[in-house]
Amino acid sequence: MNAPVAGQNLRRPIPDGFFDPIAQKFGSRFSSAHAVREHHGRDESPYPPMLPDGVVFASSTEEVAWLARHCNQHRVPLIPYGVGSSLEGHLLAVQGGVSVDLSGMNEVVSINAEDLTATVQAGVTRKQLNEALRDTGLFFPIDPGADASLGGMSATRASGTNAVRYGTMRENVMTLKVVTADGRVIDTANRARKSSAGYDLTRVFVGSEGTLGIITEVTVRLYPQPEAISAAICNFPALESAVQSVIEIIQMGIPVARVEFMDTAAVKATNAYSKLTLRESPLLLFEFHGSAAAVREQAEAVQGITHDNGGMDFEWADRPEDRNRLWTARHNAYFAGLQLRPGCRASTTDVCVPISQLARCVTETAAELDRASFPYTIVGHVGDGNFHVLMLLDPDDSSEWEESERLNQNLVRRAISMDGTCTGEHGVGLHKMEFMLAEHGQDALDLMQSLKQAFDPNNILNPGKIIPVAVGVK
Amino acid sequence: MSLTETMPMAVQADSDFDGLMTRLGQTIPRHCILSRVEDTRPYECDGLSLYRTLPPVVVLPENEAQIIDVLNACRQFQVPIVARGAGTGLSGGAMPHARGILMGTAKLNKILKIDPVSATAVVQPGVRNLAISEAAAAHGLYYAPDPSSQIACSIGGNIAENSGGVHCLKYGLTVHNVLRARVVTIDGEVVELGSEAPDCPGLDLLAAFVGSEGMLGIVTEATVRLIPKPARAQVIMASFSSVESAGKAVTDVIAAGIIPAGLEMMDKRAVHMVEPFVKAGYDLDAQAILLCESDGTPEEVEDEIARMQTVFQVAGATRLQVSGSEHERLLFWAGRKNAFPAAGRMSPDYYCMDGTIPRRHLARVLSAIEQMEDEYGLRCANVFHAGDGNLHPLIMFDSNQPDEVDRAEKFGAAILELCVQVGGTVTGEHGVGIEKINQMCVQFGREELDAFSAVKSAFDTSGLLNPEKVIPTLARCAEYGKMHVHDGDIRFPGLPRF
Repeated sequence: MNAPVAGQNLRRPIPDGFFDPIAQKFGSRFSSAHAVREHHGRDESPYPPMLPDGVVFASSTEEVAWLARHCNQHRVPLIPYGVGSSLEGHLLAVQGGVSVDLSGMNEVVSINAEDLTATVQAGVTRKQLNEALRDTGLFFPIDPGADASLGGMSATRASGTNAVRYGTMRENVMTLKVVTADGRVIDTANRARKSSAGYDLTRVFVGSEGTLGIITEVTVRLYPQPEAISAAICNFPALESAVQSVIEIIQMGIPVARVEFMDTAAVKATNAYSKLTLRESPLLLFEFHGSAAAVREQAEAVQGITHDNGGMDFEWADRPEDRNRLWTARHNAYFAGLQLRPGCRASTTDVCVPISQLARCVTETAAELDRASFPYTIVGHVGDGNFHVLMLLDPDDSSEWEESERLNQNLVRRAISMDGTCTGEHGVGLHKMEFMLAEHGQDALDLMQSLKQAFDPNNILNPGKIIPVAVGVK
Repeated sequence: MSLTETMPMAVQADSDFDGLMTRLGQTIPRHCILSRVEDTRPYECDGLSLYRTLPPVVVLPENEAQIIDVLNACRQFQVPIVARGAGTGLSGGAMPHARGILMGTAKLNKILKIDPVSATAVVQPGVRNLAISEAAAAHGLYYAPDPSSQIACSIGGNIAENSGGVHCLKYGLTVHNVLRARVVTIDGEVVELGSEAPDCPGLDLLAAFVGSEGMLGIVTEATVRLIPKPARAQVIMASFSSVESAGKAVTDVIAAGIIPAGLEMMDKRAVHMVEPFVKAGYDLDAQAILLCESDGTPEEVEDEIARMQTVFQVAGATRLQVSGSEHERLLFWAGRKNAFPAAGRMSPDYYCMDGTIPRRHLARVLSAIEQMEDEYGLRCANVFHAGDGNLHPLIMFDSNQPDEVDRAEKFGAAILELCVQVGGTVTGEHGVGIEKINQMCVQFGREELDAFSAVKSAFDTSGLLNPEKVIPTLARCAEYGKMHVHDGDIRFPGLPRF
């Protein structure tokens, strides 16, 4: 692990009396209790917790702005917290400070069906939004595995199983309300579908992982529920033939809504965990959206390709309840994987490569993993060239940790050499900082650092993340 | 972060133009430097011809090394630099600086690679937008963003302005279709922004760069996404008896879950302006017509066209016509794309606005514009990207009547203010440049302008790149500027626009 385990010595001193006005303003919505701090000092990453010095449960943009002004004045770190489902140590309080929990800001502000947009407070989760949309015939497509908050999803530029059709948060955030480091409030754009007025501030903040500003309100694009949906499972004799099929499908330009890959181990784990009876060989899960004719046509075209690559006949899941079961099982693949080795902790990789390189990258990786001393599974949003290796490690065996880190580094290097990236959707956080230089080069990192400096001159916003500089994290 | 006042400004006391020229003479080939007035005159403005400044010198580098050299020299001698692509911009983004150099990228015009497997093209900045699609056609692929000036405009300029086009409703703007840009900063550093993978970790520098109007760096190479050419495309022409019912039909189509490949509207005045010019067969009795395109496989198109027709019928369309051939489809579009050249024949002068509004306010804003015609005593033709809510009202007037100029300006200002009032923006696709710099103050507050300055200062502390554009100083936030076309005196008058 390249975790800053000696994190204590990076902590900044908290000035005397710093918390007094906070306690006075927020009352019971401020806590310095150890249990609360520990809860806000960890995410789903394998890092040990790094605790903030205090936690504030904010209920409005104005409160967040007040808090930012207070922290900025005293140079105390401020870290936004959504639901804590990030995977790379994004919200760990490396330098201590205040964690601002936005989960209480969970109001759906407005739904504009005619513009296909919804405005929500940052703490609204993706499931909550879709629940609110149920009667409108619209939906919000981005679905990371966890029921993440829209604020957190914007901050980490999240995506999910249907990014191949609907894009990631980059394409689907219309505008943000953001609190700056000095406690001012910015609206990055407006609800017009396009604007060429000034720099694209919206996308500057999307994916900035809490380092440039604190997102308190998000306006997202919505989509009409497709007239027809059908899902299908296709088994393959080998991993290569499944991946090759995906490449050809994408190159044909067939607008599949979802195409997910699972290797044999992942299928076995899912069968055991989600009580399914999937055939235990590498498989692809498809979903098709559109009019009835379009869905039929897409499915036929895809079947032609999978058949030519040695895929078996499609198994269909047309009823909504069957589809939901299948996708719930896919979303739970992480937890299912953990069950393959009781007591293990998982280290997850997140590389993403151009689709033309996918087959080579996956097969080379699998060949290397086959020689590893621990079990693994591979699942992936392969339509995007993005796949995850779940390495199941014995938490008491440091040699396994080291081996997994080495394999991850090899994998990342392989991906970058193929013009890919170290992280397709989980973000940088702490875990991927070491790869930023290899991927971007020093000059581009310098630009990111200049941007950070311009927006947050006192480095109070989620310090020690994304850009590997000055804070001693390697 | 109060940067508005401390924003890097480029009026340098220590600017040394002669030093720069001597230095450039040592490294840049002589045929790449233009300094005689008859050579530099063509560069005095872009498509926004109201604003003109003769550049003291024009440099036309032939490769990236020369671009780096020019930027290094400009920094060393503190001389401002304005980049220019094909010069078709409509907001004065490429208008020269009186004490700076103008650098054209037109000579970097090679398509370096078309990769049919990953469906990408790697191109130099001076490559014309349409040339990419022409080169990719052999593989059944094309580049989706299609600004109306696509036969002339360059990809470098498209990136600078985040260009759209009639098909961006379905296929996105330039920012959605550029995967990677190789960029030289004012510090002479070469930076790769973005990646071929769908996501790129860290701060999204590429998105910050796209649409930055030459103020953050110079593109020397871009990787763009290509998409498969649809097997079929058809367009419906629908007539309506009122502008309101046509506006309502636009929202109805989208609300029905259809994202058309293009969805454009023209009001009666625009139709009457265009039809004699193009003879596209438009319905002269309609108060407004919609052009609505579907593309995809033949089955999809057939299905979608039928659904669109149903929506339009329910919305009260008085006439529906579906293109029966590719020739007819292109003819329908030709009328729309030639609206501006046609306007030049109708009226001695016109103002073009570029406001964009949330779609559901279309009917309301259009009827408000109709009422304003009486209020200001001027005619206004409306052609626009209805699916995006992007309006291009053309206010027609005669500058020989001084009173009319004044009324036209007030009319235009009222339209843009209405756009901002209903939650829209003063510019949907033409950019701010020099043209709308004052109106930025209407749309954004001090906090947002400071954030723009923060981005600018992160990339360009010297303030030498395209100074005095896009971001207004607070002192500026007092008046309005508009695009003003006199006697059809617009650059490249024959070029389709908007």
